[in-house]
Amino acid sequence: MLEVNKVNSFYGELQVLHDISLSVSDGEFVVAFGPNGHGKSTLLKTICGLHTATSGSIKFDGEEISKLESSRVVQKGIVYVAEDRHLFPEMTVLENLKLGSFNINARTKEAENLQYVLELFPRLKERIDKPARTLSGGEARMLAIGRGLMSKPNFLAIDEPSLGLAPNLRIDVFEKISEINKEMGITILMVEQDITEASTYCNNIYLMEDGRIVFEGNREEIMKNKHVKAVFLGEE
Amino acid sequence: MTYQLAQVLISGIALGSIYAVMASGMSLVYGVLRIFNFAYGSFAMWAAYFAWFLFNHFAWMTYPAVFAIVLPAMFLFGLAVEKIAIKPLRQRANWEILAIIATTGLALFMDNTSLAAFGPIQKDLPFIIKGTMNLAGFEVSRHEMLTLGVGISIIASLQVFLKRARYGLAMRALAQDMMGAKIVGIPLNRAFGYTFALSAVLVGISGILLVPRYFISPSGGWEIMIKAWVIAVFGGMGSFIGTLYAAFILGIVEAIVIWQLGARWPIVIWFLILIVTLIIRPGGLLGARE
Repeated sequence: MLEVNKVNSFYGELQVLHDISLSVSDGEFVVAFGPNGHGKSTLLKTICGLHTATSGSIKFDGEEISKLESSRVVQKGIVYVAEDRHLFPEMTVLENLKLGSFNINARTKEAENLQYVLELFPRLKERIDKPARTLSGGEARMLAIGRGLMSKPNFLAIDEPSLGLAPNLRIDVFEKISEINKEMGITILMVEQDITEASTYCNNIYLMEDGRIVFEGNREEIMKNKHVKAVFLGEE
Repeated sequence: MTYQLAQVLISGIALGSIYAVMASGMSLVYGVLRIFNFAYGSFAMWAAYFAWFLFNHFAWMTYPAVFAIVLPAMFLFGLAVEKIAIKPLRQRANWEILAIIATTGLALFMDNTSLAAFGPIQKDLPFIIKGTMNLAGFEVSRHEMLTLGVGISIIASLQVFLKRARYGLAMRALAQDMMGAKIVGIPLNRAFGYTFALSAVLVGISGILLVPRYFISPSGGWEIMIKAWVIAVFGGMGSFIGTLYAAFILGIVEAIVIWQLGARWPIVIWFLILIVTLIIRPGGLLGARE
């Protein structure tokens, strides 16, 4: 479904992504782990057309998307859920969700998707008329994911959904994402810092360091790897 | 005295409703595109010149027909200006500053085109309706009452548009979080174009409704630009509700000042009010909250 091939990306003079290659198949739940500041967000933003790749190719269902404008990328069903959420603070929960279905493909399914999102996150239903700025951290995270689902995605790129959440809420969020993946058949590429919890939910794992992919495999393979133990789990 | 004061207040409110239309267009562009349009007043003059041209070349011309012709033209003109003069700048660093220079240049171009086409002599438009009517015991001008009605219905429609319409929501989204707007797939260029075009329509309406209080002249737009700016800053840049309060307050102030001190004084008093307000609330009336 998604093929990223030798992508390089810069912020000004600073190279953030170095020859990144990865692939995600239809229906998979893939997680890329890496420490803070190692290019994870940039990777997702580059895939979603929110940041430009300097070189390399990004193919979605065989079609090159690396040069497309963000609104076109969203129309293809590739949707970014931001780590810092980027909600519309003065607008209500409902208005935020409605904006999720701005693209032409999502518009016709708005009512249906809204119903699904409110069933998935009943808390949002209770707060439907409240401005987004009044939401708690956990609720805002739900709204960010819910707004992403309103865009009728085939592919969700989720940026550190557990960031800043209490441990019990983190598990909640991961379970919901797993549910979205299994029940709606939406392919997911998620990035996370903490490998221990999130790795139990996914099919395939990539590890990122300094803007490079340093390892690919499933959970068992990764847990056995010495380098991983040292860098990501802090074990000797 | 009380009778006169009441009449002045009514007139001030009517003026305020046009000012609200005028300033909300400027505030909208600032909120969404983060720029000032220094040609804003020149847009108003072009709309008014266009209306004057229609009235003088077609004997059957009426106000509804004028609006039906001029406003779509202003929309297209706004779209074109955004595409030609603003959009190419957006890729560059410091583009907000470049936009100020570009729109100032555009204003000079437009004003001089007006001068070449229509000459330096001020132009006037007919009253929408003549005469006076009785409102709760007060004698008020029908023309003013009608402009009040038009002003209020336009503001109400704009509010509904921003609350309900797809691109209305998109404009508010862009003002609140531009990255968020990109994430949900709002096409930025198109949304910026529509916003600029809508502001051209709004200032076009006010340009026409402000005649005959203001005459149409090649440089007449600058007063409108400055007034729209003062209202938008006083209300809180980008705040829709703040702009409305500011427009009505300053409209009433203007009517009272003209009555008591004379026609030279309103803008002086406006700036005094603006300065005092900004000392107390640097964000304007409602600027900090939105």
